[in-house]
Amino acid sequence: MVLRSIASRTAWWVLVGSTLVLGAIGGLLLALTRAQILQHTHHEAAALAANAGSQIQARVDRVAVSAQMLAAIIASRQDDAEPLLRDTLAANLDIDGLAAVFRPPLDPAAPRPHSPFVNRLDNGALSSRDLSQDANPYWNNNWFLGGLGCTGGCWQRPFFSQSRHRQLVNYSTTIERNGHPIGIINADVTLNWLHRILGSLDKPPGAYTFVLDSDGNYLAHDNPELVGQRGGTALLDALASDHAESMRLPVAQNPRARGPVWVYSAPIQGTRWRLGLVVPEYQIYASVRHIFLLSLALGLLAMLGVALITLLTIRRTMAPLGVLADRAEHVARGELDFELPAARRPDEVGRLTESFDQMRRELALHLEDLARVAREKQRLASELEIAHQIQAALFMAQTITLAKALAPRAQTPQNLLRLLNLELCRGNDSCMFVTLLCGLLNTGSGNLVLASAGHEPPILCGRGAPLVLEFPTGAVLGLYENSDYPEHVLRLGRGETLLMYTDGITEASDHDERMYGIERTVESLAQVPPTAATAAYIERLLGDVDRFVADAPQADDITLLALSWHGSVLKTTEMTLDNRLPDVFAALDRCEQLLQDAGTPVALCGDMRLVLEELMVNTVEYGYPDGQPGQIRLRLQPLADAVAVELIDDGVAFDPLQSADPVLTGDLADRERVGGLGIHLARTMTDEMRYTRDAQGNHLLLRFAYPTQDGSSP
Amino acid sequence: MTLSLHSEFSAPDRAVVHVGGRLDAMTFGELDEAMLALLPQLPDGGTVVIDLTGLTYISSAGLRSFAKVRKTMRAHGGHTLLLNPQPQVRKVFDIVKAVPVNEVFTSTQELDAYLDRMQRQITEGDDEA
Repeated sequence: MVLRSIASRTAWWVLVGSTLVLGAIGGLLLALTRAQILQHTHHEAAALAANAGSQIQARVDRVAVSAQMLAAIIASRQDDAEPLLRDTLAANLDIDGLAAVFRPPLDPAAPRPHSPFVNRLDNGALSSRDLSQDANPYWNNNWFLGGLGCTGGCWQRPFFSQSRHRQLVNYSTTIERNGHPIGIINADVTLNWLHRILGSLDKPPGAYTFVLDSDGNYLAHDNPELVGQRGGTALLDALASDHAESMRLPVAQNPRARGPVWVYSAPIQGTRWRLGLVVPEYQIYASVRHIFLLSLALGLLAMLGVALITLLTIRRTMAPLGVLADRAEHVARGELDFELPAARRPDEVGRLTESFDQMRRELALHLEDLARVAREKQRLASELEIAHQIQAALFMAQTITLAKALAPRAQTPQNLLRLLNLELCRGNDSCMFVTLLCGLLNTGSGNLVLASAGHEPPILCGRGAPLVLEFPTGAVLGLYENSDYPEHVLRLGRGETLLMYTDGITEASDHDERMYGIERTVESLAQVPPTAATAAYIERLLGDVDRFVADAPQADDITLLALSWHGSVLKTTEMTLDNRLPDVFAALDRCEQLLQDAGTPVALCGDMRLVLEELMVNTVEYGYPDGQPGQIRLRLQPLADAVAVELIDDGVAFDPLQSADPVLTGDLADRERVGGLGIHLARTMTDEMRYTRDAQGNHLLLRFAYPTQDGSSP
Repeated sequence: MTLSLHSEFSAPDRAVVHVGGRLDAMTFGELDEAMLALLPQLPDGGTVVIDLTGLTYISSAGLRSFAKVRKTMRAHGGHTLLLNPQPQVRKVFDIVKAVPVNEVFTSTQELDAYLDRMQRQITEGDDEA
């Protein structure tokens, strides 16, 4: 949320970038400055060390000079030694005590030379004694024996005087007579002044100084605890090296100093002492670090200020862009009618605003144009579609007309399709084609010859499950002149229905683009009961297809044709037979076959056969009493609601209508002679019976009405 | 379609004749001959059951054949029972009132029940005698 706007992101990156740059430059500067500061510190510290060294040297020189002068004087004036010592001691406060000691004579019995020792008491008064009278003779002591070797004077080891409670260091020089040492002058020098000199130095804060003697022991140190102790090994090694003037130690010996330290040292001439100045490294960089941190803080503050200014500036600059972005979303939604803020300045944003406004206006115009063009295109497309449909309709009309015209000549479906194809191929530049299923039904026998030009296979219904008649088909009509159309022959049974359909049925699509397909077609047809009328197949399939597609738009026409064969039509048939029973029964069989083929109900067939048998058997048996040959003519004639039968015979006159009804007792076995039953049956079972007699003989006109729907029996 | 005949004895005093096909002026002779051979085998007071299940057609000639059978049986104190006539045959029977309706049965169960009843009557009659 905070970093979503360009302004806040820019401010943030400005802040981050500036901080990085500041940090990098600051770091670089710090590194350079540190080097310079270090250099500077080296110079200053070296100068300071040298200065301190010379101060110490001046004091030391005074002691040495005084001692050497005394030695020169006392060499000739041995007896004045004590007063000379007193005078010198009074003049030089650095000297705590002076001794002038002489070699004892070789003869042990000879008197020992006066060897005075003058020292300063705590109250400042001077006291003296003769060391030659000490119980512990000095000439055996190391200090004396060592001092005899110091021809030019030398500084001895410092020591702590128990009697005088202070740290002292001796300076010894020889008293020579005739080139031979006869004694030594020994000066005890206090070291308090050394501490004072070290303390008075103008040291950098945190720094401290020390003086090391020739043995590497601390002669003086700003930290009094270390005085008399031996210097650290690292320090002594460093001092012994070539670069003893300035060196860096990772850890100082002085516990008061933290971290690494820099040590600057200078030798003190005339002695073998060495002065050291120790500056802690952190102290060297303290000031520059302080300045660096301050600069960094100030820089950060400045960066924050810059970031804030950037944020405000960019936010202010971007404000119109935000409005533009909002309006662009409007445009994306297709809303072009809105207000744009007026451009404040002719800068980039102002130009953008103006361009956006102009773009919006032009877009509106374009959209209007586009809509108009789309309408035009749609209109054109629908006109084209209509034109195409007209063309297709013309092609279809041509096909139908040709088919009708060619049918009589073709005789068979195969020939008709061949001829039709040739005609349609002629001049068919637009390559239109038609699928066609052609069939020739013998209405008398139910024989059906089919030939297909790429049409959907027909489905035979009413013979168990619906059967898809997959037989070889020729090419579609109108494309290939050499196509052949093999014939498929089948015989329709009574009541069977052949269902033919266009691919609009199988390719009917629902909203999910699923096609209805042949399987669903067969399933739908299987639902129709076998006794249903032909129209039931159409209604069922069309209803199922409608339910399947719902209101999805369809691309093709949906056409169905159902063909049912109800049996042959009864044609007026006439037959002539001899008056013999076998002939009669042959005629009866033929009549029954004709009636059955014509779909006459079974019960009516049975009734008619019974009536005709009774009448004709009666004629054969009684019409020709002399046994002469005769002829019976029988004529079947279909009527709208009945079958008419005319029976003509040339036998003796007999009007069955005039025959008396038999007496029916309820048991034929009761009768002596069973006669008249046949005529009775014939009269009862005939709906109408008329009799005439002319020159040809007996004319009997019978009428059998078709049973009504209710009265029909299976 | 011609006539088909088949007969069997379901009991020593009872014959069952299955008549199928068409019984008309051409075929009734076959039936007459068959019955002429069959009926004498039955003892007096026997029963002949004519099963008409397979008979699809009958004309007056056939009716006369059945009448002859009934006469013959009656003459020997026997019975003629008709079983399960089909609609076309039944219609003809009805029109000419060919046989007493109580001697026509639509199923074997009905026929068996009638035969049992008749058997009992005979037994009772013997008891009375």
